[in-house]
Amino acid sequence: MATQHSRAAARFMIAPSVLLLLGWMLIPLGMTIYFSLLRYNLLMPGNNPFVGFENYSYFLSDPTFLTAMLNTLLLVGGVLLITTVGGILLALLIDQPIWGQGIVRILVIAPFFVMPTVSALVWKNMFMNPVNGLFAWVADLMGLQPYDFLASAPLLSIIGMVSWTWLPFATLILLTALQSLDSEQLEAAEMDGAGPVSRFFHIMLPHLARAITVVILIQTIFHLSIFAEILVTTNGGPGVASTNLTYLVYAESLLRFDVGTGSAGGVVAIILANIVAIFLMRMIGKNLDA
Amino acid sequence: MGQITLNKVTKSFGEVQVIPPLDLDINDGEFVVFVGPSGCGKSTLLRLIAGLEDVTSGDIVIDGTPATDLPPAKRRLAMVFQSYALYPHMSVRKNIAFPMKMAGVSQEEQQRRIDGAAKALNLTDYLDRRPGQLSGGQRQRVAIGRAIVREPAAFLFDEPLSNLDAALRVGMRLEISELHKRLETTMIYVTHDQVEAMTMADKIVVLRAGHIEQVGSPLELYRTPRNLFVAGFIGSPKMNLIEGAEAGKHGANTIGVRPEHVRVTETGPWSGVVGVSEHLGSDTFLHVHDTGLCDVMTVRAGGELNVHHGDRISLTPDTDKMHRFDAEGLRIA
Ligand SMILES: Nc1ncnc2c1ncn2[C@@H]1O[C@H](COP(=O)(O)OP(=O)(O)O)[C@@H](O)[C@H]1O
Ligand SMILES: [Mg+2]
Repeated sequence: MATQHSRAAARFMIAPSVLLLLGWMLIPLGMTIYFSLLRYNLLMPGNNPFVGFENYSYFLSDPTFLTAMLNTLLLVGGVLLITTVGGILLALLIDQPIWGQGIVRILVIAPFFVMPTVSALVWKNMFMNPVNGLFAWVADLMGLQPYDFLASAPLLSIIGMVSWTWLPFATLILLTALQSLDSEQLEAAEMDGAGPVSRFFHIMLPHLARAITVVILIQTIFHLSIFAEILVTTNGGPGVASTNLTYLVYAESLLRFDVGTGSAGGVVAIILANIVAIFLMRMIGKNLDA
Repeated sequence: MGQITLNKVTKSFGEVQVIPPLDLDINDGEFVVFVGPSGCGKSTLLRLIAGLEDVTSGDIVIDGTPATDLPPAKRRLAMVFQSYALYPHMSVRKNIAFPMKMAGVSQEEQQRRIDGAAKALNLTDYLDRRPGQLSGGQRQRVAIGRAIVREPAAFLFDEPLSNLDAALRVGMRLEISELHKRLETTMIYVTHDQVEAMTMADKIVVLRAGHIEQVGSPLELYRTPRNLFVAGFIGSPKMNLIEGAEAGKHGANTIGVRPEHVRVTETGPWSGVVGVSEHLGSDTFLHVHDTGLCDVMTVRAGGELNVHHGDRISLTPDTDKMHRFDAEGLRIA
């Protein structure tokens, strides 16, 4: 945009979409904030009086809140760790010239196309079920006691399911990044005396830095709001062992019918998500420059 | 030391044999240039020597030790790639230090060699920049610096100047020749540009489709090309090749006369009509049509020659500098 005139024209022309987006964002946000300041419980119909920050103090002082926050962080961190490390390893593997490469790649990508509810149901009923599940059957074969994943390690199980869905995403992005690495650089490193491990850490990993940043940022945004997998499998339990912030907000508003506290939780979640985002951008966003 | 011998080396990619059996001796301290048209297998040959490709058969001996099965890092060869292949996330200093770091050279020694290379290559002011912040010529120098600090037995260059503009190319050509004179290390240099080959080489290896057509010093190739291919490839502008009756007169199937061995004279055995004349100041290259000998004959004349498009001129070849070739295209002595 070179001239004053074209800049003005550009602003004018993008104005409608900016306004639409603003409205799209601001109206729900405004309503959530508004509800969060009211005493608004669906079980007690009335005139919904304005109560200031009462809902916030209830929500924040609830011990479940701290558990939910910790669970949220564990969930995001666990999935990020598994998908990034696993994605790099898988990308390295399927970048090798192997027989049936095309089919292997499609197979690797496939889990990403399974919707979260379906994948969670499949995991819950076909794999992790302590009576009929595949894992229980394998344990039986080996004479072991079947392990009740969702009851004994609910959060880990959910991390596993989500990682399964998102591993292909990470793999795909990292694979394309890997393929864009100039092969002469690897050959130069080979001639310079770098073995496979040195080549990976000195040449490939720095080359992948930007792609890894993208994988982490995008996944963080999605994983802060994991919901379907929890609803379908554990309902946040046992107790609150697998309740994250999103699920807690849902539980407040739609299980306890307390719209006010639920909205307050929503606002808290928004603030937390932004803190995480700023923190992430600071930490790794500089990889995206230049 | 940097003495390299290839014995009956071949290379096939699947069914396609890119390098048919090939023998070559490279002496210690020599500047050897592989030259040939694009796709003739120069890079492949260089990569075989470097160990980046496995030979299909035959063996490679470096300084008397069999190297055929040695990994690239163990061959004590350094390579400069066409794309420079610098590590973009490392500073110039780290790039140059990388091979030494991999070899476990001590910090002081690394520092000493980096300083030496930086001074020799005019890189001292750029040591802390990233490759992305350098010009093409500077990147090229960093790549050379990274090769020098390894103190290799031989340097391998794969078309190192083809990404540079013409002026820089001439400069870098001189610098590399200079470097060779100073280090006295064996250098193998791949190019498709016969001018680079002629100006830099101690020994030129002319390749066509993986075959060695001729090996010799630049002047040997210029004076006594062994066949039509070498005759046409070496020398700029190209040699004029004449077939038919005129060649028969000299007892050959084809005769070749270089542009600089044809003179414009008052009267002469040949004549033609001047087409384009290229005035370089020092010389004039005339493109002469309708000679009845070949399609267009190129003639090198003096810089001040005054002829015009469409003029008919007479030409006299230097018969003793004429090259004669038989029906197979081989030189007749
Ligand atoms: N990795 C490869 N796989 C198959 N064919 C190749 C490969 N590398 C080179 N070739 C073929 O070998 C021939 C010589 O290539 P190259 O050595 O790169 O030529 P030059 O460097 O002389 O231009 C070409 O015909 C090219 O297509
Ligand atoms: Mg090449």
